[in-house]
Amino acid sequence: MAEYENPEIPEGINVSPTHPLKDFALLVSGISALIIVAVLALSLLAGQLARHIPFAQERALAASLGRWLPEPPDSAVAKQRQHYLQTLTNRLAGTMALPPEMPITVHYSSSQTVNAMATLGGHIVVFQGLIDTLPSENALAMVLAHEIAHVRHRDPVVAMGRGFAVMLALSSLAGFGDGALQQWLGGVGMLPILSFSRSQEEAADSSALQAVLDLYGHVGDAAAFFEKVAERQSAAYVPTMFNTHPDVDQRIARIREFAARHAKPEQAPATPLRAFLKAA
Amino acid sequence: MVDLIFFLVLLLLGYVFGQRAEKRHFRSIIEREKQLRDILVFSERRIPDEDKLDGTLVCGSVVVSVDFFKRFVANLRNLVGGRVSAYESLLERARREAILRMKEEARRTGAKSVWNIRLETSSIYKGAQQSIGAVEVLAYGTAVKPR
Amino acid sequence: MIVTNIETVPGKAIVKHLGLVSGNTVRSKHAGRDLMAGLKNIFGGELKGYTELLTESRQEAVQRMIDQATAVGANAIVNVRFSTSSVAAGAAELYAYGTAVVVE
Repeated sequence: MAEYENPEIPEGINVSPTHPLKDFALLVSGISALIIVAVLALSLLAGQLARHIPFAQERALAASLGRWLPEPPDSAVAKQRQHYLQTLTNRLAGTMALPPEMPITVHYSSSQTVNAMATLGGHIVVFQGLIDTLPSENALAMVLAHEIAHVRHRDPVVAMGRGFAVMLALSSLAGFGDGALQQWLGGVGMLPILSFSRSQEEAADSSALQAVLDLYGHVGDAAAFFEKVAERQSAAYVPTMFNTHPDVDQRIARIREFAARHAKPEQAPATPLRAFLKAA
Repeated sequence: MVDLIFFLVLLLLGYVFGQRAEKRHFRSIIEREKQLRDILVFSERRIPDEDKLDGTLVCGSVVVSVDFFKRFVANLRNLVGGRVSAYESLLERARREAILRMKEEARRTGAKSVWNIRLETSSIYKGAQQSIGAVEVLAYGTAVKPR
Repeated sequence: MIVTNIETVPGKAIVKHLGLVSGNTVRSKHAGRDLMAGLKNIFGGELKGYTELLTESRQEAVQRMIDQATAVGANAIVNVRFSTSSVAAGAAELYAYGTAVVVE
Protein backbone atom coordinates (compact mmCIF):
# COMPACT_ATOMS: atom_id res chain seq x y z
CA MET A 1 0.00 0.00 0.00
CA ALA A 2 1.44 3.32 -1.07
CA GLU A 3 1.69 6.28 1.26
CA TYR A 4 -0.09 9.55 0.53
CA GLU A 5 1.12 12.93 1.75
CA ASN A 6 1.59 16.57 0.63
CA PRO A 7 5.01 17.86 1.69
CA GLU A 8 5.62 21.58 1.68
CA ILE A 9 7.01 22.90 -1.61
CA PRO A 10 9.69 25.60 -1.24
CA GLU A 11 8.81 29.13 -2.43
CA GLY A 12 10.31 30.84 -5.44
CA ILE A 13 10.54 28.03 -7.99
CA ASN A 14 7.78 29.40 -10.18
CA VAL A 15 8.62 33.07 -9.80
CA SER A 16 11.74 34.67 -11.24
CA PRO A 17 13.70 36.38 -8.50
CA THR A 18 14.35 39.65 -10.42
CA HIS A 19 13.24 42.83 -8.71
CA PRO A 20 10.45 44.53 -10.68
CA LEU A 21 12.14 47.96 -10.50
CA LYS A 22 15.41 46.59 -11.84
CA ASP A 23 13.56 44.91 -14.67
CA PHE A 24 11.74 48.18 -15.35
CA ALA A 25 14.90 50.31 -15.31
CA LEU A 26 16.75 47.95 -17.64
CA LEU A 27 13.88 47.76 -20.09
CA VAL A 28 13.11 51.47 -20.12
CA SER A 29 16.72 52.57 -20.56
CA GLY A 30 17.55 49.87 -23.10
CA ILE A 31 14.52 50.42 -25.28
CA SER A 32 14.76 54.23 -25.04
CA ALA A 33 18.40 54.13 -26.14
CA LEU A 34 17.56 51.78 -29.00
CA ILE A 35 14.66 53.92 -30.22
CA ILE A 36 16.59 57.18 -29.93
CA VAL A 37 19.54 55.78 -31.90
CA ALA A 38 17.25 54.28 -34.53
CA VAL A 39 15.20 57.46 -34.86
CA LEU A 40 18.31 59.65 -35.06
CA ALA A 41 19.87 57.49 -37.76
CA LEU A 42 16.64 57.31 -39.69
CA SER A 43 15.87 61.00 -39.42
CA LEU A 44 19.37 62.01 -40.49
CA LEU A 45 19.11 59.77 -43.53
CA ALA A 46 15.61 60.98 -44.41
CA GLY A 47 16.69 64.59 -43.86
CA GLN A 48 19.62 64.20 -46.25
CA LEU A 49 17.35 62.66 -48.86
CA ALA A 50 14.66 65.34 -48.41
CA ARG A 51 17.27 68.07 -49.04
CA HIS A 52 17.47 66.84 -52.64
CA ILE A 53 13.77 67.42 -53.32
CA PRO A 54 13.65 70.28 -55.87
CA PHE A 55 12.17 73.48 -54.47
CA ALA A 56 9.48 73.49 -57.18
CA GLN A 57 8.31 70.10 -55.91
CA GLU A 58 8.24 71.43 -52.37
CA ARG A 59 6.07 74.35 -53.52
CA ALA A 60 3.69 71.99 -55.29
CA LEU A 61 3.50 69.84 -52.18
CA ALA A 62 2.77 72.86 -50.00
CA ALA A 63 0.05 73.98 -52.41
CA SER A 64 -1.53 70.51 -52.38
CA LEU A 65 -1.81 70.52 -48.61
CA GLY A 66 -4.85 72.79 -48.85
CA ARG A 67 -5.80 75.67 -46.61
CA TRP A 68 -3.30 75.41 -43.79
CA LEU A 69 -1.82 78.89 -43.95
CA PRO A 70 -3.56 81.93 -42.40
CA GLU A 71 -6.43 83.46 -44.36
CA PRO A 72 -5.49 86.39 -46.64
CA PRO A 73 -5.84 89.70 -44.78
CA ASP A 74 -9.35 91.14 -44.83
CA SER A 75 -9.00 94.57 -43.22
CA ALA A 76 -7.11 97.49 -44.76
CA VAL A 77 -4.62 97.64 -41.88
CA ALA A 78 -3.88 93.92 -42.13
CA LYS A 79 -3.27 94.32 -45.88
CA GLN A 80 -0.95 97.22 -45.16
CA ARG A 81 0.97 95.18 -42.57
CA GLN A 82 1.26 92.18 -44.88
CA HIS A 83 2.50 94.37 -47.72
CA TYR A 84 5.09 95.97 -45.44
CA LEU A 85 6.31 92.54 -44.17
CA GLN A 86 6.57 91.27 -47.76
CA THR A 87 8.59 94.32 -48.83
CA LEU A 88 10.97 93.96 -45.88
CA THR A 89 11.33 90.25 -46.64
CA ASN A 90 12.11 90.94 -50.28
CA ARG A 91 14.80 93.44 -49.27
CA LEU A 92 16.35 90.87 -46.91
CA ALA A 93 16.05 88.08 -49.47
CA GLY A 94 17.89 90.32 -51.94
CA THR A 95 20.96 90.39 -49.70
CA MET A 96 20.82 86.65 -48.99
CA ALA A 97 21.43 85.46 -52.58
CA LEU A 98 18.38 83.21 -52.75
CA PRO A 99 18.17 81.05 -55.89
CA PRO A 100 15.80 82.64 -58.45
CA GLU A 101 13.28 79.78 -58.21
CA MET A 102 12.91 80.29 -54.45
CA PRO A 103 10.36 83.06 -53.84
CA ILE A 104 9.41 83.81 -50.23
CA THR A 105 5.77 84.49 -49.41
CA VAL A 106 4.95 86.20 -46.13
CA HIS A 107 1.61 85.62 -44.41
CA TYR A 108 0.43 87.95 -41.70
CA SER A 109 -1.73 86.60 -38.89
CA SER A 110 -3.47 88.83 -36.37
CA SER A 111 -3.18 86.10 -33.74
CA GLN A 112 -1.55 87.08 -30.44
CA THR A 113 0.88 84.12 -30.58
CA VAL A 114 4.44 85.36 -29.99
CA ASN A 115 5.95 83.45 -32.89
CA ALA A 116 7.06 83.41 -36.51
CA MET A 117 7.58 80.29 -38.55
CA ALA A 118 8.89 79.05 -41.85
CA THR A 119 7.03 76.20 -43.49
CA LEU A 120 7.08 74.19 -46.71
CA GLY A 121 7.11 75.99 -50.03
CA GLY A 122 8.85 79.17 -48.86
CA HIS A 123 5.91 80.38 -46.79
CA ILE A 124 6.63 82.43 -43.69
CA VAL A 125 3.96 83.20 -41.12
CA VAL A 126 4.37 86.22 -38.82
CA PHE A 127 2.00 86.70 -35.88
CA GLN A 128 0.93 90.08 -34.54
CA GLY A 129 1.87 88.86 -31.04
CA LEU A 130 5.50 88.76 -32.13
CA ILE A 131 5.45 92.19 -33.75
CA ASP A 132 4.07 93.68 -30.53
CA THR A 133 7.10 92.48 -28.54
CA LEU A 134 9.72 93.90 -30.92
CA PRO A 135 11.28 97.32 -30.33
CA SER A 136 12.42 98.22 -33.86
CA GLU A 137 12.42 97.29 -37.53
CA ASN A 138 15.93 95.87 -37.08
CA ALA A 139 14.64 93.33 -34.56
CA LEU A 140 11.79 92.39 -36.91
CA ALA A 141 14.27 92.06 -39.79
CA MET A 142 16.38 89.70 -37.69
CA VAL A 143 13.40 87.40 -37.08
CA LEU A 144 12.35 87.52 -40.74
CA ALA A 145 15.92 86.87 -41.94
CA HIS A 146 16.11 83.92 -39.56
CA GLU A 147 13.00 82.39 -41.14
CA ILE A 148 14.23 83.15 -44.68
CA ALA A 149 17.48 81.38 -43.77
CA HIS A 150 15.46 78.32 -42.73
CA VAL A 151 13.82 78.26 -46.16
CA ARG A 152 17.14 78.78 -47.92
CA HIS A 153 18.75 75.95 -45.93
CA ARG A 154 15.74 73.76 -46.87
CA ASP A 155 15.01 73.16 -43.17
CA PRO A 156 11.20 72.83 -43.45
CA VAL A 157 11.43 70.06 -46.06
CA VAL A 158 14.18 68.32 -44.08
CA ALA A 159 12.00 68.45 -40.96
CA MET A 160 9.10 67.08 -42.96
CA GLY A 161 11.25 64.22 -44.27
CA ARG A 162 12.43 63.43 -40.77
CA GLY A 163 8.98 63.56 -39.29
CA PHE A 164 7.63 61.36 -42.04
CA ALA A 165 10.37 58.73 -41.65
CA VAL A 166 10.03 58.62 -37.88
CA MET A 167 6.25 58.43 -38.09
CA LEU A 168 6.57 55.47 -40.45
CA ALA A 169 9.06 53.73 -38.18
CA LEU A 170 6.95 54.26 -35.06
CA SER A 171 3.76 53.19 -36.78
CA SER A 172 5.40 49.85 -37.59
CA LEU A 173 5.43 49.31 -33.84
CA ALA A 174 1.77 50.29 -33.56
CA GLY A 175 0.54 46.72 -33.07
CA PHE A 176 2.33 46.29 -29.78
CA GLY A 177 1.09 46.90 -26.30
CA ASP A 178 -1.65 49.16 -25.08
CA GLY A 179 -2.28 52.88 -25.10
CA ALA A 180 0.23 53.66 -22.37
CA LEU A 181 3.06 51.95 -24.21
CA GLN A 182 2.15 53.60 -27.50
CA GLN A 183 2.12 57.01 -25.88
CA TRP A 184 5.50 56.39 -24.32
CA LEU A 185 7.04 55.07 -27.54
CA GLY A 186 5.77 58.11 -29.41
CA GLY A 187 7.23 60.46 -26.79
CA VAL A 188 10.63 58.82 -26.81
CA GLY A 189 10.69 58.68 -30.61
CA MET A 190 9.89 62.37 -31.00
CA LEU A 191 12.49 63.48 -28.46
CA PRO A 192 15.50 63.52 -30.81
CA ILE A 193 13.82 65.23 -33.77
CA LEU A 194 11.28 67.80 -32.54
CA SER A 195 10.91 70.41 -35.29
CA PHE A 196 14.17 71.94 -36.41
CA SER A 197 17.36 70.67 -34.86
CA ARG A 198 19.52 72.98 -32.80
CA SER A 199 22.29 73.01 -35.40
CA GLN A 200 19.74 74.17 -38.00
CA GLU A 201 18.70 77.01 -35.68
CA GLU A 202 22.30 78.10 -35.18
CA ALA A 203 22.98 78.05 -38.92
CA ALA A 204 19.83 80.12 -39.53
CA ASP A 205 20.93 82.62 -36.86
CA SER A 206 24.30 83.22 -38.42
CA SER A 207 22.86 83.63 -41.96
CA ALA A 208 20.27 86.02 -40.59
CA LEU A 209 22.89 88.13 -38.81
CA GLN A 210 24.87 88.46 -42.05
CA ALA A 211 21.72 89.52 -43.93
CA VAL A 212 20.79 92.14 -41.32
CA LEU A 213 24.35 93.45 -41.34
CA ASP A 214 24.29 93.74 -45.14
CA LEU A 215 20.95 95.55 -45.14
CA TYR A 216 21.40 98.00 -42.24
CA GLY A 217 25.19 98.13 -41.88
CA HIS A 218 24.94 97.09 -38.21
CA VAL A 219 23.23 94.43 -36.11
CA GLY A 220 21.86 96.55 -33.30
CA ASP A 221 18.62 95.21 -31.74
CA ALA A 222 19.18 91.81 -33.38
CA ALA A 223 19.13 90.09 -30.01
CA ALA A 224 16.02 92.01 -28.90
CA PHE A 225 13.58 89.18 -29.49
CA PHE A 226 15.66 86.68 -27.55
CA GLU A 227 16.18 89.13 -24.71
CA LYS A 228 12.40 89.37 -24.43
CA VAL A 229 12.14 85.58 -24.44
CA ALA A 230 14.88 85.30 -21.81
CA GLU A 231 13.00 87.75 -19.58
CA ARG A 232 9.89 85.64 -19.71
CA GLN A 233 11.73 82.34 -19.35
CA SER A 234 13.67 83.34 -16.27
CA ALA A 235 10.44 82.78 -14.35
CA ALA A 236 9.77 79.28 -15.68
CA TYR A 237 12.85 77.15 -16.19
CA VAL A 238 12.65 74.95 -19.29
CA PRO A 239 15.31 72.22 -19.63
CA THR A 240 17.40 72.69 -22.78
CA MET A 241 16.77 69.14 -23.87
CA PHE A 242 13.05 69.73 -24.35
CA ASN A 243 13.65 72.96 -26.18
CA THR A 244 14.13 72.95 -29.94
CA HIS A 245 15.74 76.35 -29.97
CA PRO A 246 19.25 76.51 -28.56
CA ASP A 247 19.49 78.01 -25.13
CA VAL A 248 18.33 81.61 -25.44
CA ASP A 249 21.31 82.90 -23.43
CA GLN A 250 23.69 81.15 -25.79
CA ARG A 251 21.97 82.73 -28.78
CA ILE A 252 22.09 86.19 -27.27
CA ALA A 253 25.77 85.67 -26.50
CA ARG A 254 26.47 84.56 -30.07
CA ILE A 255 24.61 87.55 -31.54
CA ARG A 256 26.49 89.99 -29.26
CA GLU A 257 29.77 88.42 -30.23
CA PHE A 258 28.89 88.88 -33.91
CA ALA A 259 27.85 92.47 -33.21
CA ALA A 260 31.14 93.14 -31.42
CA ARG A 261 33.15 91.78 -34.36
CA HIS A 262 31.32 94.03 -36.82
CA ALA A 263 31.06 97.09 -34.56
CA LYS A 264 31.63 100.41 -36.26
CA PRO A 265 32.74 103.60 -34.49
CA GLU A 266 29.58 105.52 -35.39
CA GLN A 267 26.60 103.12 -35.35
CA ALA A 268 23.44 104.20 -37.10
CA PRO A 269 20.38 104.30 -34.81
CA ALA A 270 17.84 101.49 -35.06
CA THR A 271 15.04 102.09 -37.54
CA PRO A 272 11.78 102.46 -35.61
CA LEU A 273 8.81 100.27 -36.45
CA ARG A 274 6.11 101.88 -38.56
CA ALA A 275 3.24 103.11 -36.44
CA PHE A 276 0.61 101.03 -38.27
CA LEU A 277 2.37 97.81 -37.23
CA LYS A 278 1.58 98.12 -33.56
CA ALA A 279 -1.78 96.90 -32.35
CA ALA A 280 -4.15 99.77 -31.64
CA MET B 1 3.47 67.53 -20.04
CA VAL B 2 0.16 66.87 -18.27
CA ASP B 3 0.03 63.48 -20.00
CA LEU B 4 3.51 62.66 -18.77
CA ILE B 5 2.71 63.55 -15.17
CA PHE B 6 -0.53 61.59 -15.36
CA PHE B 7 1.38 58.63 -16.74
CA LEU B 8 4.08 58.78 -14.06
CA VAL B 9 1.47 59.05 -11.32
CA LEU B 10 -0.34 55.99 -12.67
CA LEU B 11 2.96 54.12 -12.85
CA LEU B 12 3.85 55.04 -9.29
CA LEU B 13 0.37 54.20 -7.97
CA GLY B 14 0.46 50.90 -9.82
CA TYR B 15 3.86 50.06 -8.43
CA VAL B 16 3.22 51.02 -4.80
CA PHE B 17 -0.25 49.51 -4.49
CA GLY B 18 0.46 46.57 -6.77
CA GLN B 19 3.56 45.51 -4.84
CA ARG B 20 1.79 45.95 -1.53
CA ALA B 21 -1.23 43.94 -2.63
CA GLU B 22 0.99 41.21 -4.01
CA LYS B 23 3.08 40.92 -0.84
CA ARG B 24 -0.05 40.82 1.30
CA HIS B 25 -1.64 38.24 -0.97
CA PHE B 26 1.43 35.97 -0.86
CA ARG B 27 1.54 36.20 2.93
CA SER B 28 -2.12 35.26 3.14
CA ILE B 29 -1.65 32.38 0.67
CA ILE B 30 1.26 30.93 2.64
CA GLU B 31 -0.67 31.29 5.88
CA ARG B 32 -3.80 29.57 4.56
CA GLU B 33 -1.78 26.85 2.84
CA LYS B 34 -0.39 25.96 6.25
CA GLN B 35 -3.91 25.76 7.69
CA LEU B 36 -5.17 23.57 4.85
CA ARG B 37 -2.11 21.33 4.76
CA ASP B 38 -4.11 18.34 6.05
CA ILE B 39 -6.24 18.29 2.89
CA LEU B 40 -4.20 16.38 0.33
CA VAL B 41 -4.37 17.17 -3.40
CA PHE B 42 -3.42 14.84 -6.25
CA SER B 43 -3.77 14.99 -10.00
CA GLU B 44 -4.38 11.22 -10.28
CA ARG B 45 -7.65 9.67 -11.26
CA ARG B 46 -7.19 6.43 -9.35
CA ILE B 47 -8.39 6.86 -5.78
CA PRO B 48 -7.26 4.19 -3.28
CA ASP B 49 -10.06 2.30 -1.45
CA GLU B 50 -12.59 3.89 -3.78
CA ASP B 51 -15.46 1.64 -2.68
CA LYS B 52 -15.35 2.94 0.90
CA LEU B 53 -15.54 6.68 -0.08
CA ASP B 54 -18.06 9.32 -1.11
CA GLY B 55 -16.94 11.77 -3.81
CA THR B 56 -18.15 15.20 -4.85
CA LEU B 57 -16.91 17.87 -7.24
CA VAL B 58 -15.22 20.90 -5.63
CA CYS B 59 -14.13 24.04 -7.45
CA GLY B 60 -12.22 27.18 -6.64
CA SER B 61 -11.79 30.14 -8.91
CA VAL B 62 -10.24 33.56 -8.70
CA VAL B 63 -9.84 36.59 -10.97
CA VAL B 64 -6.78 38.71 -10.28
CA SER B 65 -6.14 41.95 -12.07
CA VAL B 66 -2.73 43.25 -13.01
CA ASP B 67 -1.55 46.72 -12.03
CA PHE B 68 -0.56 49.53 -14.41
CA PHE B 69 3.13 49.18 -13.61
CA LYS B 70 3.25 45.46 -14.38
CA ARG B 71 1.26 45.90 -17.52
CA PHE B 72 3.68 48.54 -18.75
CA VAL B 73 6.75 46.45 -17.90
CA ALA B 74 5.22 43.41 -19.59
CA ASN B 75 4.49 45.46 -22.69
CA LEU B 76 8.08 46.65 -22.78
CA ARG B 77 9.30 43.09 -22.31
CA ASN B 78 7.14 42.08 -25.23
CA LEU B 79 9.21 44.34 -27.49
CA VAL B 80 12.52 42.66 -26.68
CA GLY B 81 11.32 39.16 -25.79
CA GLY B 82 12.28 36.92 -22.92
CA ARG B 83 10.78 35.92 -19.63
CA VAL B 84 7.86 38.10 -18.59
CA SER B 85 8.62 37.96 -14.89
CA ALA B 86 6.02 40.63 -14.13
CA TYR B 87 3.24 38.18 -15.00
CA GLU B 88 4.78 35.08 -13.45
CA SER B 89 4.06 36.09 -9.89
CA LEU B 90 0.55 37.14 -10.93
CA LEU B 91 -0.22 33.70 -12.34
CA GLU B 92 1.45 31.88 -9.47
CA ARG B 93 -0.68 33.84 -7.05
CA ALA B 94 -3.88 33.22 -8.99
CA ARG B 95 -3.26 29.47 -9.21
CA ARG B 96 -2.40 28.97 -5.60
CA GLU B 97 -5.40 31.04 -4.59
CA ALA B 98 -7.71 28.95 -6.80
CA ILE B 99 -6.36 25.70 -5.32
CA LEU B 100 -6.79 27.13 -1.83
CA ARG B 101 -10.41 28.04 -2.48
CA MET B 102 -10.99 24.57 -3.84
CA LYS B 103 -9.45 23.11 -0.68
CA GLU B 104 -11.64 25.36 1.47
CA GLU B 105 -14.71 24.00 -0.29
CA ALA B 106 -13.39 20.46 0.24
CA ARG B 107 -13.02 21.17 3.95
CA ARG B 108 -16.62 22.39 4.12
CA THR B 109 -17.77 19.07 2.63
CA GLY B 110 -15.73 17.24 5.26
CA ALA B 111 -13.28 15.73 2.77
CA LYS B 112 -9.69 14.78 3.58
CA SER B 113 -8.31 14.72 0.03
CA VAL B 114 -9.01 15.99 -3.50
CA TRP B 115 -8.29 13.91 -6.59
CA ASN B 116 -7.94 14.37 -10.32
CA ILE B 117 -7.28 18.07 -10.04
CA ARG B 118 -7.48 20.14 -13.24
CA LEU B 119 -6.60 23.78 -13.68
CA GLU B 120 -7.88 26.17 -16.33
CA THR B 121 -6.51 29.61 -17.03
CA SER B 122 -8.07 32.28 -19.14
CA SER B 123 -7.94 36.01 -19.45
CA ILE B 124 -11.52 37.11 -19.20
CA TYR B 125 -11.08 40.78 -19.88
CA LYS B 126 -8.96 42.21 -22.64
CA GLY B 127 -8.79 45.96 -22.75
CA ALA B 128 -7.83 48.15 -25.67
CA GLN B 129 -5.41 46.48 -28.08
CA GLN B 130 -5.57 43.12 -26.34
CA SER B 131 -3.64 44.15 -23.29
CA ILE B 132 -4.41 41.96 -20.34
CA GLY B 133 -6.83 43.29 -17.78
CA ALA B 134 -7.26 40.29 -15.51
CA VAL B 135 -6.49 36.60 -15.34
CA GLU B 136 -8.94 33.96 -14.21
CA VAL B 137 -7.91 30.58 -12.82
CA LEU B 138 -10.32 27.76 -12.12
CA ALA B 139 -9.22 24.70 -10.13
CA TYR B 140 -11.50 21.69 -9.80
CA GLY B 141 -11.26 18.14 -8.61
CA THR B 142 -13.09 15.37 -6.78
CA ALA B 143 -13.13 15.63 -2.99
CA VAL B 144 -13.58 12.36 -1.14
CA LYS B 145 -14.57 11.54 2.44
CA PRO B 146 -15.12 8.23 4.21
CA ARG B 147 -18.59 6.85 3.70
CA MET C 1 13.19 12.15 -12.93
CA ILE C 2 10.58 10.06 -14.73
CA VAL C 3 7.71 12.08 -16.13
CA THR C 4 4.59 10.38 -17.50
CA ASN C 5 1.09 11.47 -18.36
CA ILE C 6 -0.55 8.24 -17.24
CA GLU C 7 -1.55 7.14 -13.77
CA THR C 8 1.49 4.94 -13.23
CA VAL C 9 5.13 4.57 -14.06
CA PRO C 10 5.24 1.46 -16.27
CA GLY C 11 7.18 -1.40 -14.72
CA LYS C 12 7.58 0.34 -11.38
CA ALA C 13 5.43 0.37 -8.29
CA ILE C 14 4.58 3.70 -6.66
CA VAL C 15 5.43 3.63 -2.98
CA LYS C 16 4.59 7.20 -2.02
CA HIS C 17 2.32 9.92 -3.40
CA LEU C 18 3.52 13.44 -2.66
CA GLY C 19 0.73 15.55 -4.12
CA LEU C 20 0.48 18.30 -6.71
CA VAL C 21 3.60 19.89 -8.17
CA SER C 22 3.50 22.54 -10.88
CA GLY C 23 5.67 24.74 -13.04
CA ASN C 24 4.67 27.89 -14.87
CA THR C 25 6.29 30.44 -17.15
CA VAL C 26 5.37 33.44 -19.24
CA ARG C 27 7.67 34.24 -22.12
CA SER C 28 7.56 36.45 -25.16
CA LYS C 29 9.49 36.87 -28.40
CA HIS C 30 10.92 40.21 -29.47
CA ALA C 31 8.89 42.54 -31.65
CA GLY C 32 10.75 41.52 -34.81
CA ARG C 33 9.45 37.97 -34.46
CA ASP C 34 5.94 39.28 -33.92
CA LEU C 35 6.25 41.29 -37.14
CA MET C 36 7.48 38.24 -39.05
CA ALA C 37 4.61 36.20 -37.66
CA GLY C 38 2.21 38.89 -38.88
CA LEU C 39 3.71 38.64 -42.37
CA LYS C 40 3.56 34.86 -42.27
CA ASN C 41 -0.14 35.16 -41.57
CA ILE C 42 -0.54 36.37 -45.14
CA PHE C 43 1.25 33.43 -46.74
CA GLY C 44 0.47 30.71 -44.22
CA GLY C 45 2.91 28.10 -42.99
CA GLU C 46 4.54 27.28 -39.71
CA LEU C 47 5.32 30.17 -37.39
CA LYS C 48 8.81 28.96 -36.48
CA GLY C 49 9.40 31.75 -34.00
CA TYR C 50 6.25 30.90 -32.09
CA THR C 51 6.87 27.15 -32.23
CA GLU C 52 10.26 27.85 -30.71
CA LEU C 53 8.67 30.11 -28.11
CA LEU C 54 6.19 27.43 -27.06
CA THR C 55 8.89 24.75 -26.97
CA GLU C 56 11.15 26.88 -24.78
CA SER C 57 8.25 27.79 -22.51
CA ARG C 58 7.16 24.19 -22.19
CA GLN C 59 10.69 23.08 -21.33
CA GLU C 60 10.97 25.75 -18.71
CA ALA C 61 7.58 24.95 -17.16
CA VAL C 62 8.46 21.24 -17.03
CA GLN C 63 11.86 22.06 -15.53
CA ARG C 64 10.22 24.12 -12.80
CA MET C 65 7.76 21.33 -12.10
CA ILE C 66 10.69 18.88 -11.84
CA ASP C 67 12.47 21.31 -9.48
CA GLN C 68 9.42 21.30 -7.22
CA ALA C 69 9.23 17.50 -7.31
CA THR C 70 12.93 17.21 -6.49
CA ALA C 71 12.47 19.62 -3.60
CA VAL C 72 9.81 17.40 -2.02
CA GLY C 73 11.93 14.25 -2.48
CA ALA C 74 10.11 12.62 -5.40
CA ASN C 75 11.76 10.66 -8.19
CA ALA C 76 8.89 10.62 -10.67
CA ILE C 77 5.88 12.72 -11.74
CA VAL C 78 2.77 11.00 -13.03
CA ASN C 79 -0.41 12.22 -14.69
CA VAL C 80 1.21 15.37 -16.07
CA ARG C 81 -1.10 17.89 -17.77
CA PHE C 82 -0.36 21.06 -19.67
CA SER C 83 -2.50 24.13 -19.72
CA THR C 84 -1.81 27.06 -22.03
CA SER C 85 -3.50 30.38 -22.26
CA SER C 86 -2.87 33.71 -23.89
CA VAL C 87 -2.70 36.18 -21.09
CA ALA C 88 -0.75 38.89 -22.86
CA ALA C 89 -0.79 39.32 -26.62
CA GLY C 90 2.34 37.83 -28.15
CA ALA C 91 3.41 36.06 -24.96
CA ALA C 92 3.13 32.34 -24.27
CA GLU C 93 2.06 31.23 -20.85
CA LEU C 94 2.47 27.57 -19.98
CA TYR C 95 1.50 25.67 -16.92
CA ALA C 96 2.52 22.06 -16.28
CA TYR C 97 1.23 20.11 -13.32
CA GLY C 98 1.18 16.54 -12.09
CA THR C 99 1.50 14.38 -9.01
CA ALA C 100 4.96 13.88 -7.53
CA VAL C 101 5.57 10.26 -6.52
CA VAL C 102 8.32 8.04 -5.23
CA VAL C 103 8.81 4.82 -7.21
CA GLU C 104 10.86 1.92 -5.99
